[in-house]
Amino acid sequence: MKLQRLAGALLGMAVTCLICTAPAIAQDIRFGANLPMSGPNAEYGELFSSAAAIAVEHANADKMLSKKLVMLIEDSQATPQGGVVAMNKLVSVEKVPYVLSAFTGVSKAIAPVGDKAHVVSVNGGGIGPDLAELGDYFWNVIPLVNLEVLALAPYLVKERGWKKIALLYVDDPAGEAIKKELDIHVPKNGGTMVSSLQVPRASQQFSGVAAKVRESQPDAVFIASFGTQQAQIVKQLRDNGVKQQLVGYSAFSSPTVTQLPEARGALFPTQTINWEGDAVSQRLARDWKAKKNKDPNAYVANYYNAVMVFVKLAQALEKSGQPITGENLLKQRKATGTFDVVGGKMQFLPNGTVSMPLGIYEIDGGAGKLVKGNIVVK
Amino acid sequence: MTRHGGHRSPLRPIGVLLLQLFINGLQLGAIYALTAVGFALIFGSTKVFHVAHGAAFTLAGYLFWWSITALKWHWTAGIVLAILAVVAFGMFMERWIYRPIQRHEGAFFTVFIASFGTQIMVQNLVGMVFGRGFETVTVELSRAVEIAPGLFVAPIAGVAIVVAAALFTGLHFFLARTQAGTGLRALADNPDLVRIFGLEPTRLAQVAFALGSALVVPAAALTAVSQGINPGIGAHIMLISLAATIVGGIGSLKGAACGGMLLGLAESLAVWKLDPQWSEAVTFIILFVFIIFRPAGFLGRAVGSK
Repeated sequence: MKLQRLAGALLGMAVTCLICTAPAIAQDIRFGANLPMSGPNAEYGELFSSAAAIAVEHANADKMLSKKLVMLIEDSQATPQGGVVAMNKLVSVEKVPYVLSAFTGVSKAIAPVGDKAHVVSVNGGGIGPDLAELGDYFWNVIPLVNLEVLALAPYLVKERGWKKIALLYVDDPAGEAIKKELDIHVPKNGGTMVSSLQVPRASQQFSGVAAKVRESQPDAVFIASFGTQQAQIVKQLRDNGVKQQLVGYSAFSSPTVTQLPEARGALFPTQTINWEGDAVSQRLARDWKAKKNKDPNAYVANYYNAVMVFVKLAQALEKSGQPITGENLLKQRKATGTFDVVGGKMQFLPNGTVSMPLGIYEIDGGAGKLVKGNIVVK
Repeated sequence: MTRHGGHRSPLRPIGVLLLQLFINGLQLGAIYALTAVGFALIFGSTKVFHVAHGAAFTLAGYLFWWSITALKWHWTAGIVLAILAVVAFGMFMERWIYRPIQRHEGAFFTVFIASFGTQIMVQNLVGMVFGRGFETVTVELSRAVEIAPGLFVAPIAGVAIVVAAALFTGLHFFLARTQAGTGLRALADNPDLVRIFGLEPTRLAQVAFALGSALVVPAAALTAVSQGINPGIGAHIMLISLAATIVGGIGSLKGAACGGMLLGLAESLAVWKLDPQWSEAVTFIILFVFIIFRPAGFLGRAVGSK
């Protein structure tokens, strides 16, 4: 009897929930975000989702779509397993046509799920070059690391004369990809990789690694990690007597590194964005600063742009009376020449990647000082 | 920016790097030992598998960092705040989480799950309150100076070793010479006998949790200064400290201290010949070797301080 009453109450609650939520669901245009919201890389999830949330706010404020735009966030924990679980939920339960992704390992794991279900995944943070080969339904709005290394290697070796490069790289597809690119492009420009030390993803202790780095007597040390680990590496290298130039890739633009006193003077390549250049960039920079009390970086632009690409494609589909599905979004992207987004015009290459001018920045405690700009690599 | 660090030492290629890794290992081992001894004291006395000891570590590290960087307090005040907070946390866990579970015939595994859940909850709470990024207390003590060609030592390494040695000596005397210490050792051996002698096991358990939790504070503060902290650091340190407790011998405080030191040294020295990728794996290889060939650990006995 008790059990029957309990079942009845639960059924009643379920029906009430359905009644309450169904109209909201019917009125929304939804997309997913598969981002690390917990664990050691949660800082990135917070950064990426905040940028995407501003894009949603702008799209809704400007009434760019016929219905309210809603972002559904799932936690990938920055792990491939977590990413696949989150992607399956977004694709099979929430049935979204478009998902924001991040991290090379996670993106590679979720791409087949999206491809099979014809759901578009868009990466704005992962940099592995093989992200260009994940099929029609996987797009990138960030220049991949092969382009970053192409821009950086000649600058380090030829322009600054740092010929002996030591590499510390994380045992992750992103770390492996960077090693592969440096192994090609440093020697090509006349330099040498004097040591390549792989560190586990969970490792937090680098004093011994610092001793090995010093032992190899490099001119510059390249750190290919991400999240809080890269900041720990920077601090511990500096504390343990590594005085050489530190270099990273675009992940160095995360606040956890740029605000670290030990990271001052470190170099990294990333997209060149003129935040004063156009009204869209100015609006994002203004709103970001108002919310976060910080200057925006390239990741902020990427995730804002990723949402705005969806909005513009959905807008075009609504105009032509077509449903907003993954297939139609892909067709519409191929039919669209360029997108006016933060940082200027964005054009997708046939493999779903973008090529943008890059700059080399020096960490100065703020958003970074541009030391070389407008590097165009293909 | 200096372009060339260090110069060739006459001791190279073997001596300097090995000595460097040994000193780094002592510093790391001291941190592991402090955390492991706290855990071993709690587990040895109360038989509670207090995984949330890692959460106490995280709390202590963040409160120490916050009091110094945000509140601009002197570091001693930061240490006092961290001790008060983690002692309260440990005693709360014993009184309001573990004891009720044990009272209702809660199995060992139920207690473990409750502790593990608390660990995750604290990790997320710390992330929400203090941010999910990397934080560090920047002091000159963590900056290594070149004491011999190619040999860099930070003063914090000496501080870590001295602090650990002083605390272990103090703990030894507390357990050997005070009534509460004797009671704790008796509790580990036979709780029923403790009752017959008129002592209250629950009160002794509170002492064990308070003392064990307080021991993570110096380790957490040293970590905040030398390595930096993030909300997930407690789980990582706890895993290593747990391994240290098993290697040293469950129930033995000396064993836990030696186990922590051994694992710290092994993790650091592994880099001498192996890729850094293997440094943490070495910890678990040592653990497996002990589990297979000497499951009681190298100083395994029922209770600590013997």
